[in-house]
Amino acid sequence: MAEERRSTAKTALARGLALTLRTLVQRTGIRQYPDILPALPPRSRGVIALFEENCTVCMVCARECPDWCIYIDSHTETVLASTEGGRDRQRNVLDRFAIDFALCMYCGICVEMCPFDALFWSPEFEYSEYDLTELTHEKDRLREWMWTVPPPAAHDPLAEQPRL
Amino acid sequence: MSAAEVAAALAGVAGQSSQSYGLWCVDVPAAAWQHTVQAARDDHGLSYLDWLSGVDELADGFSIVAHVVDPDTVLHVLLRTRVPRDEPRLPSVASVHSGASWHERETAEMYGVTFDGHPDPAPLLLPEEFEGHPLRKDFVLASRVVKAWPGMKEPGESDATASRGRRRIRAPGVPEPAEWGFEARGG
Repeated sequence: MAEERRSTAKTALARGLALTLRTLVQRTGIRQYPDILPALPPRSRGVIALFEENCTVCMVCARECPDWCIYIDSHTETVLASTEGGRDRQRNVLDRFAIDFALCMYCGICVEMCPFDALFWSPEFEYSEYDLTELTHEKDRLREWMWTVPPPAAHDPLAEQPRL
Repeated sequence: MSAAEVAAALAGVAGQSSQSYGLWCVDVPAAAWQHTVQAARDDHGLSYLDWLSGVDELADGFSIVAHVVDPDTVLHVLLRTRVPRDEPRLPSVASVHSGASWHERETAEMYGVTFDGHPDPAPLLLPEEFEGHPLRKDFVLASRVVKAWPGMKEPGESDATASRGRRRIRAPGVPEPAEWGFEARGG
């Protein structure tokens, strides 16, 4: 009985050491993150950027957001008629556009729904904060993210080419 | 035996079996529920209860769903039954699978279904004093009523300039304040 147990222990020990040895010579998959940046896949969802110039304050993103994390304030301005006998026009001006990334679940519905291509995904992800309230990015910061948005992927060579 | 044959055998005369997204499902009346779960374990080797939960089917009542697996062949079927909305009661299957006990406690608190003969019918996750059943479709999230919907503003409006009189667009799935919450209770 004791003899048997001893031999079992020996096999187990040998097997364990063999495993250790094998792991030792294996290449590791670990990347030392802050020193070596990860290779992000295309279309990664890091942060949402706002192309403010395109925003018409239609409120679609704020209404579609399932998390209620987009806050928009705006006011109406009158644009005086530029031609003789023309009519004055009303224009909405964006005062505040904020996304609370503490609430955001990165579903991308706002980016999908935006009818004027004012919201884009940026792969940037290094914006953690010590204070939760700091994760609400106001429109200046959202506009800054716009510089990090990658150009859209090239069309498939066999696809119908876009009309210019 | 294939999953289709097991499902057909479990459905018997009272129930029916069908395939849904590649998975064989057995629908049985509530009266045959306990017997079906027992038969799946004893007669067909489906001895592993993966999970048990519910589905709010609105006017059709509640579905109680259990996924059972044969650990040797990995053959698996979904067992389903339906209880009416006005009196959601079902015999407990904790006597068949001990592991069903916690699943039934969770289903009971989340959907308000009573499992008769459960050994310990206390709530599993929710506090004792919690009111309502959170996974019912008519349950309103308190956080959706407490916070103002950012989409309520019209284009060109801000919090300061929002006009009060007009009838406002409402967030989908959130009732008027007067219909739900403190105002409705006169608090």
